[in-house]
Parts: sequence; C-alpha cells; structure tokens
Amino acid sequence: MRPKDIVIIGIMSAILIIAQVALSFIPNVELVSLLVILFSLLYGWKTLFIIYVFVLVEGLIYGFGIWWINYLYVWTILMLAAMLFKKQRSPFFWAILSGTFGLIFGTLCSIPYLFIGGVPMAVSQIISGIPFDVIHCVGNYAVTLALFNPLYRFLEWVNHKGQKLVS
Amino acid sequence: MKERKNTIPLILGTLLLFLSAFLLLLFFYNKVLKPDLASEGSKTIYVRVIVPDEEEQEFTIVTDAETLREALDEKKLIGGEESTYGFLITEVNGRKADSSRQEWWCLTKDGEFSEFGVDMIKIQDQDRYELTLMEGY
Repeated sequence: MRPKDIVIIGIMSAILIIAQVALSFIPNVELVSLLVILFSLLYGWKTLFIIYVFVLVEGLIYGFGIWWINYLYVWTILMLAAMLFKKQRSPFFWAILSGTFGLIFGTLCSIPYLFIGGVPMAVSQIISGIPFDVIHCVGNYAVTLALFNPLYRFLEWVNHKGQKLVS
Repeated sequence: MKERKNTIPLILGTLLLFLSAFLLLLFFYNKVLKPDLASEGSKTIYVRVIVPDEEEQEFTIVTDAETLREALDEKKLIGGEESTYGFLITEVNGRKADSSRQEWWCLTKDGEFSEFGVDMIKIQDQDRYELTLMEGY
C-alpha cells in the first residue's frame, strides 16, 4: 500500500466518522450509506479499509455492543452492492439502492439475534424496527438523490488535487 | 430516446421502493399498533346516570381499572370529596348534588344498594351500575 492510499484511507475514515457523529441526533437519517457508495465507486477495494477503520472508531466511541457486530458486515454488503453497479452514474439509481439498503437495514441487523434467540427473536427485532427502517429508507433516498452528484464531483476534485500534489 | 429508456426503470424502481416501505408500515400498523389500540381495556362496564325529570344517560366504559372509582375517574365522570367513610360522590357528569336541597348521589349495582364506597368496589366485566340523584336524607 502506497503512502497516498494510507492518507486517503485516513481522511475518508475521518469524514465517515464525522458525518455519522454529526447526524447521530436524528434517528436513522445518515450520510454514511451515501459516503460508502461514493468511496466504493471512487476507491474500489480500498473502501474496505475505510469501512473497518470507521467501524473500529465507532466501537471506541459508543462501546462494542451487538450493533457493532452488525457494523462488521452491513457496510461491507453495501460496498459490494455498489461495486456490482460501478458503472452507474444516475443519482436516481443510487438513491434507490441506498433507500433499499435503509429499508433492509433492520433485517440485516437481526442476523446476530438468530443465534442469540432463534427465529422468533430475529423476527420480533425486524418487526419492531419497521418504522425506523422506513425512515432510514426515505432519508437515504432523499440524501442520496440530493447529494450524490455534488459529493461525487467534490471527491473527484479532491482526488485530482491529491494526484497533482503527489506528482 | 436512450435517456427515456433509462428513466422508466428508475421511476419504477422508486415506486416499488416506496410501495414496499408503505406495505411494511401497513403491516406494522396491523400487527403491532392495532392490537395495542384494541386492548384499551379488558373490562366493559355500564353506568347509568339517573336524574329525576331528566333524560337518563348510559355510559359504556372499557377499562383495565380495578375499582369503580378508577374507572369513573378515567372518564372524568365523577367528582367528590374524601371522607372518613371513603370517597363521597358529590358530582356526576357535571351535575352537582345540591346539599341545601338535601340532594345526594346514590350508587346501586343492578338496582341493589351498594354496601361499599365507590373506591372499594372491585369491578368485573359486564357489571352494571346506576348513579341516581336522590332528594332527602
């Protein structure tokens, strides 16, 4: 890994953490999903490092609960989904993907409960989280639709400037 | 033309996403919220308010309350004062008993005079009570 990559991973992880903490007072309205999508499009597999630095720091901030186990895989799933459609540039497409991720977030997070309390516990977790998932879906859709293009252009510009500075 | 071809799946995708979200909310409402609303109370009691020369009124109270006083208080149906004998009803459904005319509220269950005060009567499902404004001690 080149020093430039390490710098990118550090800065982007910090952006992810700041974005999460800054919006943490609004339940299930977040920028993390959009940023993970953008990082996946721009940095490819390096996003894995960004995600896991973010997840580690989140654990240090909020404590390592069951939610932290969820974080170990949910963002990676989103990254893989984004990588699958890497050629797409339509904000509408990414808004749909991000909204879908928001809608199934509770279901993805119920997986650890399958092992703790079996299917009934996991199902009750999913059902009780439906209102939050719907808010997450609408929030993700709106945020991605509004900010995908400007943030994509901004990150591309940052990348371009960074390249120039290195060379 | 190509752009239009690309737009249709995106519009359909958006509609499908919001339809799924709506159906999930509907499911949540029917499975979680509605049963909670339905279980507002496990007992239903009927209270008749009888004032001479006035039209009789009947109140149906669905409640989880243990005593008749709690159930009537929930509906803000009675007012009164604490006494050494328990709670003394002086007002029912906004109608105050006028002590200068020796008026008082009589509590009966199925027409039978109640031996206990309103705060000592344990209610059961389908109980029927009457509160009658009497004149003369």
